[in-house]
Parts: sequence; structure tokens; C-alpha cells
Amino acid sequence: MKGVLATDRRGVRELGAEELVGWDEVTHGVVLNSFETELENVAHIPPEERPYSDFSSYTATVASWRVIKPVYNRDICIDCQNCWVWCPDTSIISRDKQMLGIDYDHCKGCGVCVEVCPTNPKSLLMFAEAEDPETALSQWPEKKKKEKK
Amino acid sequence: MAITSIKNLKEFSTVNERFEGAHLLCPGCAHSMIVRELMNATDDNLVIASATGCLEVCTAVYPYTSWDTSWIHIGFENAASAATGAEAMYKARKRKGTLKDPDAPVKFVAFGGDGATYDIGFQWLSGAVERGHDFTYICLDNENYANTGGQRSSSTPIGAHTSTAQAGRVSYGKKQKKKDMVAIMAAHGAPYVAQLAPNKWKIMAKGFQKALETEGPCFINTVSACTTEWKFDPKDTIHITDLATDTLMFPIYEIIDGHELNILYRPKNVIPVEEYLAAQGRYKHLFKPENRHVIEQIQKEIDAKWEYLQRREEARV
Repeated sequence: MKGVLATDRRGVRELGAEELVGWDEVTHGVVLNSFETELENVAHIPPEERPYSDFSSYTATVASWRVIKPVYNRDICIDCQNCWVWCPDTSIISRDKQMLGIDYDHCKGCGVCVEVCPTNPKSLLMFAEAEDPETALSQWPEKKKKEKK
Repeated sequence: MAITSIKNLKEFSTVNERFEGAHLLCPGCAHSMIVRELMNATDDNLVIASATGCLEVCTAVYPYTSWDTSWIHIGFENAASAATGAEAMYKARKRKGTLKDPDAPVKFVAFGGDGATYDIGFQWLSGAVERGHDFTYICLDNENYANTGGQRSSSTPIGAHTSTAQAGRVSYGKKQKKKDMVAIMAAHGAPYVAQLAPNKWKIMAKGFQKALETEGPCFINTVSACTTEWKFDPKDTIHITDLATDTLMFPIYEIIDGHELNILYRPKNVIPVEEYLAAQGRYKHLFKPENRHVIEQIQKEIDAKWEYLQRREEARV
């Protein structure tokens, strides 16, 4: 099986791993529906309650792109949401003003979230993709003292 | 009109996202930061047209789509035409009473890269703005044709190395200046024209909301740092954009009704442009002794432009 399997129909298939029809068979004006049913006001339905169809890239994964991954440390996080606003891959899961974690099916490991994290030490750090999250958390650096000028 | 609260980031983060992950844009690409922010800035229904370019190619890789709104893939040149066509049709059907839900608020948006905006779609965009449709055009300006291998566009600044304006023994990269698209669009008399940057998320979200609320054609030029063609590490996207706005390489300002200019962000400490240039691989040849004069020229032009913007703001003309 290719790709990373996840619950909630998220990331069930690797992007581009399967081809439905070839170029010769695609007709003009193809419409891809993101949802199984007709939805009104998508902006008022949280993602986990939306009936995503197989055409939505929400159901696909790009996890295989990653060489390094961000690891999240809840104990230090101040929920500033800097990582949420600047994540290019919609991979920071924030609900009710709280940062809940990282969506590893859509994260490409760019490291922008780590750079914009304002806490000391940072509450997001990059580790090797194969690193176990618990081992990563145990290696977390101590708070850096301000250098006296 | 329902707009999202952007008083602070915590409140902003409660919106339900309509731009999905697992698109194929490069890691650290600023395009998706900008697109996400636009879609998060409102909860109205959106009809979006994308010109050919990185954004279009990467968010609709058959059989996948990353858009949870109505989205049209159109040719390189006619994103503005497609958005305005949809808008005209919507108005006509509203008048005839054939819409299913005539009261639902709908906004029309067109996205184009700098190739689609500055070069190939220029005439179409100009026509759409002249016809006065109620739509917003957003240019994702990464200063080259990044989708096809980094060719120079008329948005590429002087001195930058691109695959068709190479730096080497006889040349220092592109020799022509960047086109001032914001001034050109303001000269059309568009009700709202702005240049914004994703590192200042609040200014950008406010600008987007203003453009969506304003009736008539609005144009927004956004700075989109390109990790692949500007040659910097993906994690530094926001840092590079910070440098761009703080060196005044990309001043953030708006022009209302074609004449009222407001500077939206004044850096506390203006950084010399050398720092911005040194952070990117596409400018590294400028630091050779024989090319130093280009850096001086860029700095001189930035200072002149900043002086011009400040005077325009003061004079209110």
C-alpha cells in the first residue's frame, strides 16, 4: 500500500499514485466536485464534518515529500497561531483558538512554522522524518538565557 | 456581507479553511499562504478563476482539486476575463430571477502570477478593469515564470539572474527595470489598488477584505517569495519577505480611486537593500566587484521610489 494511511478519510491515497483516466479520455469542461453532496456555505462547516469526495486533495497525502518533520511541544506553546497563519500547506490544526497539532498527511516539511514560532525555546522543532515523537520531545532544548550586552 | 474577524490571530484562526492541503506547490511557497489568507478573510461564497501558472497547475492535478469553492481553470491570459464573465452572468441571472439563492453573497476573484498579470494577461486585465466589473484581481508576484523554469518576466527586477537573463562574464542578469504594475492599475482609476505582503498578515487580510467589499474592479499585487527560483531555503520564506518589506524593495501601500495614496507599513529601521540581495542566490553575482554598481543603482531607485510614495501620500493627489 502506498502512502500514509490516516483516519477521517484524510490522506488515504498518495497524490498521483493512481491514474483514473488517461489524457486521451479527458473531455473538455471536466468538473471535479470537492464534496459528495451539494453543500451550502462551506465556510460554516468545519473540515472534519465535510463530506469530502475522492477528488478533493484533502483525501490525498504528500507525506512522502518530507525528509524532516516538525514536532510539536504542547507544554511550551502559547497558541499565538503564527504557525497557523503562515503554514503554506494548511497543515496546522487549530480549533477554538487552540493549536492542536500537525497534519502529517499534508505537511511537506518546509520548516516555516519553526521559523515563525516566537517562544523560547521554540515549541516546534524540525527532526528527522524517522524520529519517534517521544524521543524527539525528550531531546527538547532548555530555555535560552538572554545574552547580556 | 460577512467578513471574518481579524482583530487578532487567535480569532482569525477560528475560521473554517476552504483551501486544502496536499496541493503540489513547493514546500515553503508563499502562493498558498496568500491564497489561504484571502479565502479565510471572508465567509462569502467565492468564485475564483486562476490563470495558468504555478498556482493553477499545482492545485488542480487531475484527479484532485484543492479548492472547496467554485474554481475555474482558464488560459494563461484570461483569468480576469473569466472572472468578469462569471460576474456578468451572475448579475444577468439575478436580474432575470433564475438564481437558486439570489440573496447569497458571492465574490468574484481572479488569481494570476506575475507572468499572467504583467505580460500575457495584461491586455485582458486592463479591459476587465476598464469595463468596471465588480471583481478582485490578485497578482501573486514571484518575479519570474517559476512554473516553466524561471524565465524573466517584466516583473523581474534589475540585476536578477533568470534562466533567460543569465548572469555571467558579459551580463549581470536582467538589465531592465521592473514594471510598476500598481501605478498602471491605479491609472485605470480602479477604486482600490494595493501592494501587500504575506509577512504582514493583518495588513494583508484587511486589504483583501477592503478589496472584496469595494464595489468595482480592485487590483492587489502581493509579494510571493519563490524558494526555487529566488534560491533560498524553504524555511526562510517569511524572513525573505520581511527583508523585502523592510528594505523597501516592496513598499506596502494602497491607492484609492486612483489618487489617494496611503502607505500601510513604515519599517522602524530601514535595512540597506544589500541584506535582501545577499539572502538570495539569484543576486549572488551582484557582489562581485564589477557588478557592485548595480546594487548602488537598486538602492538609489528604492530611495527615490520611497521618497515619491511619501510625497504622494502627503500631497493627497
